[in-house]
Amino acid sequence: MAKEYAHPEVLVTTAWVDEHRQDPAVRIVESDEDVLLYSQGHVSGAVRIDWHIDLQDQVVRDYIDKTRFAELCATKGIANDTTVVFYGDKNNWWACYAFWVFKLYGHAECRIMNGGRTRWEADGRPWSRDPEPSYARTNYLASDPDHSIRAFQAEVIKHQQKGKPLVDVRSPGEFTGELLHMADYPQEGALRGGHIPGAVSVPWSRSVGEDGTFKSPKELEGIYAREAGLKRRTPVIAYCRIGERSSHTWFVLHYLLGYPKVKNYDGSWTEWGNTVGVPIEKGPGRKVEQPEPARSSS
Amino acid sequence: MSGTVAQRIDEIASEFAELDPRERLELLLEFAEKLPPLPARYQAERDAGLNRVHECQTPVFLWTEIEDGQVRIYADVAPEAPTVKGFVSVLVELFSGSGPEEVLATEPDLVNRFGLVEALGMVRMRGLHAIAHHIRQKIAKSRNVR
Repeated sequence: MAKEYAHPEVLVTTAWVDEHRQDPAVRIVESDEDVLLYSQGHVSGAVRIDWHIDLQDQVVRDYIDKTRFAELCATKGIANDTTVVFYGDKNNWWACYAFWVFKLYGHAECRIMNGGRTRWEADGRPWSRDPEPSYARTNYLASDPDHSIRAFQAEVIKHQQKGKPLVDVRSPGEFTGELLHMADYPQEGALRGGHIPGAVSVPWSRSVGEDGTFKSPKELEGIYAREAGLKRRTPVIAYCRIGERSSHTWFVLHYLLGYPKVKNYDGSWTEWGNTVGVPIEKGPGRKVEQPEPARSSS
Repeated sequence: MSGTVAQRIDEIASEFAELDPRERLELLLEFAEKLPPLPARYQAERDAGLNRVHECQTPVFLWTEIEDGQVRIYADVAPEAPTVKGFVSVLVELFSGSGPEEVLATEPDLVNRFGLVEALGMVRMRGLHAIAHHIRQKIAKSRNVR
């Protein structure tokens, strides 16, 4: 039974962030679902990177390319050797998404502030309303995208045909096919409901406690290894609706539990459930018992 | 509040248009902060989960009523959803106090007038469209009752 996270160094506390706000080797990045939260109050010294406006191409459904990623880092004062600490709203959902995109382009030192905005607030730490600070431009060199952490549909189809593990991190209603979209997120629906055949359901937010921080290694192992039966050595693909909730589970499986081969399928249900002719399964499948807490779907 | 709804839309639209996308977010936040608190008489209904706008990402509660021939909009939006709160506040400023016919005569996709796509991105716009649509429907319905 795991007593420690596999890569404990990727998590930092709010206290650590507070101490390193002025550290030139560190850049703090806020990534939220609600893009106004940064203006409403952020960690002093933090820059803002928006998952949608900054990290996604606005024409093609894809991430920004390597050149634009490098430009983004350069303008935010992030150098190749900067330690980048991500935090945000909704249990660090979008922070993990940004973390994943940074890993996609090979950024070495990435961290998550455990607990995100919720924990910063609960710890009584101050919010700043200053405009976004500007830092000296860097010469950033991005790597080619690391496809060992990103799965495309063709690969997912083969993976599914071979009966390899898939983890569906959406809410139970989306998994069974009752809902065509996450409750309250109609804008990201699909024409068919259900899940990729053989996928196991583990709603993403089960990995997080009430205070927004990740559950203990023992609890996480209980959920993913014992309940869901995900074997450490077998390649796992995680998916959700557009690849954001699954980047959170990707983070948990790889960095906290040490699964060596985990990919995020960012096409996710909005691609699979709209694709002509791919197999779909409805109903509970190998569903894990406990439902997703209501608070996480708001 | 002065002028017609159409004039107010033009005024607010030009206020947004003069700003760059990041500044538009600041203006939207200013709107969020001036959304009047939910009157006490509606708080019990909200606590019971009534009048929630289900198309919205975050808890949004809206009461759209017609009092003495004037549209009145009362709202409660979670503080962790300032974008939605700001937009609701824009709609309150535009519509509250005007006649239902005048409000219904405004363009149905007026959300697109404020240059928010550039500031928020496409995927966030649908929720805002849903709110505007919800309010229009409520007004149309209340008008038919009378």
